[in-house]
Amino acid sequence: MAKLSDLLTAEDLVQLTGLPLFARTVMEGFSTGQHASPHKGSSVEFRQHRPYVQGDEIKRLDWKIFGRSDRFYIREFDEETNLRATVLLDSSGSMAYRGTKGAIKFEHARKVAASLAYVLTGQQDAVGLVTFDDKVREFIPCRTKTSHLHHILDTLQRTQPGGETSLSAVLRNLASRLKRRGLLLLVSDCFDDAERLIQSVGALRKQGHEIIVFQVWDRDELDFPFSRWARFENAERTEDSLLLDPAAIRQRYLQVLQTFREQLLEGLRRHQVDLVPIITDEPLTEAIKAYLALRMRQ
Amino acid sequence: MSFLNPILLAGAAAFLIPLIIHLLNKRKVITVLWGPMHLLHEALRQKKRNVKMEQKLLLAVRISIPILLALCLALPVLSALSQLPGFDKTSLLVVLDNSFSMRAPGTGGTARDKARNDLRQTYTTLSRGSDTAVILAGAPPHRLTAEPTSDLEAVPTLLENEPSLGGPLALQDTFQLVQADLGKLATPAREVLLVSDFKWSDWRQLAEGGTLPALESILKQERPPLVTFLRSSGDTESNLAVVSVEPSAFVVARGQMIALRARIQNHGPQAYQDVAVHLEANGARLRSTRVSVAPNSESVITLTHTFDAPGDQALTVRVEGDSLPDDNAYSVIIPVREQVNCLLVRGKSRSGPLEGATDFLEIGLTPHQSAATTLKDVIRTGVIDDHAMRDKTLDGSEVVILANVNRLNDRQVQELEEYVQRGGGLIIFMGPDMDMRWYQEKLYQNGKGLLPCTLNGFGHVDEGQTPARILNQRHTHPAITYFNEARGMRLQDAAFTHWVKFDKVEGDARPILNLDRGDPLMVEKPRGKGRVIAVATTANAQWSNLPLQPAFVPLIQRLVTYLATQNAAPQSQMCGTVLRASLGTEQVKGNYELKDPMSRTREVTPRADRDGVIFVDHSDTAVPGIYELRAKNVPGALVRRFAFNLNPAESNLSAMPEENIRAMAQRLGASYASSQDEYARLDRTRRHGAEAWQPLLFALLLFLFAEVFLQQRISRA
Repeated sequence: MAKLSDLLTAEDLVQLTGLPLFARTVMEGFSTGQHASPHKGSSVEFRQHRPYVQGDEIKRLDWKIFGRSDRFYIREFDEETNLRATVLLDSSGSMAYRGTKGAIKFEHARKVAASLAYVLTGQQDAVGLVTFDDKVREFIPCRTKTSHLHHILDTLQRTQPGGETSLSAVLRNLASRLKRRGLLLLVSDCFDDAERLIQSVGALRKQGHEIIVFQVWDRDELDFPFSRWARFENAERTEDSLLLDPAAIRQRYLQVLQTFREQLLEGLRRHQVDLVPIITDEPLTEAIKAYLALRMRQ
Repeated sequence: MSFLNPILLAGAAAFLIPLIIHLLNKRKVITVLWGPMHLLHEALRQKKRNVKMEQKLLLAVRISIPILLALCLALPVLSALSQLPGFDKTSLLVVLDNSFSMRAPGTGGTARDKARNDLRQTYTTLSRGSDTAVILAGAPPHRLTAEPTSDLEAVPTLLENEPSLGGPLALQDTFQLVQADLGKLATPAREVLLVSDFKWSDWRQLAEGGTLPALESILKQERPPLVTFLRSSGDTESNLAVVSVEPSAFVVARGQMIALRARIQNHGPQAYQDVAVHLEANGARLRSTRVSVAPNSESVITLTHTFDAPGDQALTVRVEGDSLPDDNAYSVIIPVREQVNCLLVRGKSRSGPLEGATDFLEIGLTPHQSAATTLKDVIRTGVIDDHAMRDKTLDGSEVVILANVNRLNDRQVQELEEYVQRGGGLIIFMGPDMDMRWYQEKLYQNGKGLLPCTLNGFGHVDEGQTPARILNQRHTHPAITYFNEARGMRLQDAAFTHWVKFDKVEGDARPILNLDRGDPLMVEKPRGKGRVIAVATTANAQWSNLPLQPAFVPLIQRLVTYLATQNAAPQSQMCGTVLRASLGTEQVKGNYELKDPMSRTREVTPRADRDGVIFVDHSDTAVPGIYELRAKNVPGALVRRFAFNLNPAESNLSAMPEENIRAMAQRLGASYASSQDEYARLDRTRRHGAEAWQPLLFALLLFLFAEVFLQQRISRA
């Protein structure tokens, strides 16, 4: 059984403890919690009275009004529910990149996933996990039990990157499997066609899911620091390779990269999806903390 | 294409360096398992038009740079057939200025040394089988070798043994020799290289627009040679020179004092203070004095000497303190005689004092005797009436003067004719009693008689009119050049009221003096070995006041001594001219030896010309100084001396500015090189083709810029 300390240090855990992660939209939870639920029930937050219709539960009749007016009214309350959050971890080959400074992108992504699961579990939310490459590898439904966190961590520990990415296809697939609205936390490098990715995210948003994308970068992918001739082999398809002088193409690569990032950011923003860049040479918890703090202020 | 430094072509191998670096870079590639390949593909797609192409271009540029650099350093020249064996032979005709100004010292030697070194260097660049000829252009121009030679190594040695003491450049004569020698050269690739110090004195006329017909005709040939002017000059411009020494008389008597007027010229910006001037007689120093000469000016000093022995005596004026010693001395030969006999033949005379036809002549020719002084006259006169001329009367007289003679009989004319033919001098003064018709018929004889010209009546000035005077002009006749600078003795002061009009001054006749009315006053004509001078006025003061002028005495004395010494050697000759000494008929069988100024003795053999005159001659007179001729193996034989001096024009060392030489060369159709290096470059270009390193260097610079540009462009792409 995997332990939390296998993935996160004690210091990370201290920093992550108590961090709030609220859904911005109403969630379909299955217990009371911190998140607004679309279901109106007998909660503490009174919403309205409405005339009784056949089929209403007798226990929800407001007998005081019946005593005063001899009419049947039903009391309605806003129901508070717990959050159903699913962490989607990209386990494709591109996530296996080991940077020139030694950091492995997937290790970082795995820690992000673990951190998010820990935070959500800590606030009694239901957490699920999906690992995927070009298809879903593991699907762990949402649970609130503490032992479920261990299950998730165990799964994270076992997952190794490899295979091709088809992020948009995976998201479309998940749209059919995630019936209830919830929070989707996508941890990926998003190395897919930006337009298709945005369309897939848009489809999920239409189903009522709230989505946060944690885009994981290695510093090499942002700076392209290579100077000697290099053969770039596709981490997902080795038959795809390029032999080139990196210095000769660096400027153009950086421009293309910038365009890609801007396109992605703009497309996701259109669907009210946050894009959080996570860079492997930066402290992980700091990045998550900074993002959650910003989210709270918004 | 050929290369002047082909060994540096090896540097082109450096092109391997960028190639190897390129290949090594490719070989040492690292493999990167890369995630965002789609970004890389997109970047490459956007850049596809640039990257591969530009990288290959950059590699090509980098490879080209060391190759271009090596080509530049190897000094390539473009040529066609000249690279094929046997096609690079050249015929080089060298015209070398050997005038003595080439001996002017400078840094690194004299101009002559420089020229020789330049030529030696030039000969080393000629291909095997090339031939050459050298013409020494100082007057008189002559060939170094009789025929063109292909022994190129021998020519510089021959040049070293050749003295550079020629006179001023004789360019026309030189190029006539060039024209003749061009046809003798072996190859069709002919070049003419003229090496000179380009002094103004030699080149002024040509530089100021003069023509050189011989060179023009050379350049108009169907296949004209390449002509190059090469400057080889010393850097000395200061020079002190004795440019002339003029004796006061053509001949002096033993014990009679002669004055020498020496002009010392300072050609240059340096002043000379208290320079020693020595007077030497026959090589022995007599006395010294000192003179100061300001920059670019001259000083004239007068020195005197009295000889106590008859014969041809040499006097030399020499200055010290100059770096070019060749022109520091000037020598003249003074004939010293016991006396010169002059017979005065007078016509009808009047009885009054000084009214006789020859009275003034007697006084003028023997002034010391007339004044009863103790000084000695060189001329001894005898006076007879015209009818007293009989057989043998003229014997013993060097000069005969007729004054106002009415007419002579045929016998007397015959005697005079024979006298002049033998070498006697005759002066004929006109006069009122002369029978002009007889003179015309018997003495002129349509140009065949003794009279130098025809007589065309009398000329005179009317009362109230200004008298006729001697035309003021610079005199060139040796008998009267003395009056050009004789202070206080102006011939122009003489006034003439009557004269005989001379006409038809033609053939050998030439006027010595002219009147300002357009009529000649004195006319000279050589006849046989002698000369005749006709004077248009009287010898007394009847027609003019010439006998009353201070100039009369030196004038009449110089005329007489000129005629008396006309067959003697010239007082001074220019170096390079032929030494010719007339000898007596009886001396034809004798042997003679000639000692030159360097004390080298050589034997000379008398010869007879077509008139039967016995003479010896000698053409090697390049060395200035005194040449002595004496009968061989005859103790106490009379020594005849000859003075040879350098042309004073050569003493002025000021050189033409380079732009003038270049312009002159261009106008004449020649190239110009200011130094041996420049000539070598020019010659290489012409013989082997144009050097191509300049465009290659330009290309190299372009490639360097292209490399930087491509590098920047690729890195920005």
